[in-house]
Amino acid sequence: MTEADGFVNHTVAGLAEPQPMYKALRESTPVFRAPDVVVLSRLADIEMALKHTELFSSNMDAVDLGNIRPLIPLQIDPPDHAKYRRILDPLFTPREMARREPGVAQLVNEMIDRFADRGECDFHEDFAVPLPCTVFLQLLGLPLEDLDQFLEWKDGVIRPEGADGYEGRHDASAGVAQQIYDYFERAIDDHIAGPRDDVLSSLIAARIEGEPLTRHEILDICFLFLIAGLDTVTDSLDCFFVYLARHPDHRHQLVEQPDVLPSAIEELLRWETPVPGVARVAMQDVEVGGCPINKGERVSPLLGAANTDPAEFPDPDLVDFRRNPNRHRAFGGGPHRCLGSHLARMELRVAMREFHRRIPDYEIKPGTELTYTAALRSVESLPLTFPVPVS
Amino acid sequence: MTRVAVDADRCVGHGRCYTLAPDVFDADEVGHSIVFVEDVSGEREAQAADAERNCPEDAITLSP
Repeated sequence: MTEADGFVNHTVAGLAEPQPMYKALRESTPVFRAPDVVVLSRLADIEMALKHTELFSSNMDAVDLGNIRPLIPLQIDPPDHAKYRRILDPLFTPREMARREPGVAQLVNEMIDRFADRGECDFHEDFAVPLPCTVFLQLLGLPLEDLDQFLEWKDGVIRPEGADGYEGRHDASAGVAQQIYDYFERAIDDHIAGPRDDVLSSLIAARIEGEPLTRHEILDICFLFLIAGLDTVTDSLDCFFVYLARHPDHRHQLVEQPDVLPSAIEELLRWETPVPGVARVAMQDVEVGGCPINKGERVSPLLGAANTDPAEFPDPDLVDFRRNPNRHRAFGGGPHRCLGSHLARMELRVAMREFHRRIPDYEIKPGTELTYTAALRSVESLPLTFPVPVS
Repeated sequence: MTRVAVDADRCVGHGRCYTLAPDVFDADEVGHSIVFVEDVSGEREAQAADAERNCPEDAITLSP
């Protein structure tokens, strides 16, 4: 087995530092045939695949999360895709997210209050996990006491137990998926009975060419939100804080030059690429970089490899918080560009700003061995220690 | 003066331009880019150039 084979076990194994492997793949086999997926690692190929949905579809054959209908809008390609984005994008614009920012800042501070006096926390468990999940519940207008249930469900479909390779995934996650559908059925009924200022009420009120969304369409959007909105910000927070704990100079820059924060977030998104790859399926026989890919084969554009490709990024291994330009693809690109990117950016910005304002110095508890999860890059636990802030 | 244009067929709403160049670009109701000052010079031109360099979809063009 080559080095690349070992790495590309179901696209991406849980690696602490995947960048050297991205480089190895890009330089040796930029179109890499793993047992159940073809991995693309050059930015030019990845960009092409993301743009050409007629060649590389994001439909239900690309990834199986136990769902019984296509997730909307992820698993619907253009042209139908656009009609859903037209009603969903307005709910997640930077302006709309700015409206939510004070509430998120308050939430972040309440979470920090719970551990600041202890001088230690498990950043993953105490912060990175509950923050995006709580924001999600507030945004959709769901009861906060459902938090633990949601955490169980999202892990059940993203990291199903007993799923061995692609083929086992559906059976492993179908039971949980059904519970998710049932939950949102009830939530939709509840919101029809009592509309309010939240995303679920907006979906119920939305019209496409004068017609409301069907019940199935609303369910398929909610399901997508659950798998796309919870884990990814957790992954980003974990990756970022591990990096900052281990690179005090970068952390000090954030504390001393607060204006660098927005571009620091873009650079950390580039370097860490918390969602290292996305899933596509070839719609016809096609050739990429001289390598034939057959119709029906699964293809994974490796976003992390695109983000460290020297063809686009001079000195790609240098983490420069003022890097400019920075055309990273951490949120993908083309029609399926991450719907929640501005929500993610807002959550990350508020979390980084408030955390470093209150706890500017921290380190990973000595002796800790970090375990990264596969596919989406969170760590299983991140114990941090820090001086207790003087209040 | 430099003329700024956004190709609406390419823009997918990354939002980098109106973040980096708020005096030149704005967001429409779905978060896609619109140019609200088409002819720019000085500080606005520098902003527009920054946005052009940072657009992941190559949707922005500057022309004399």
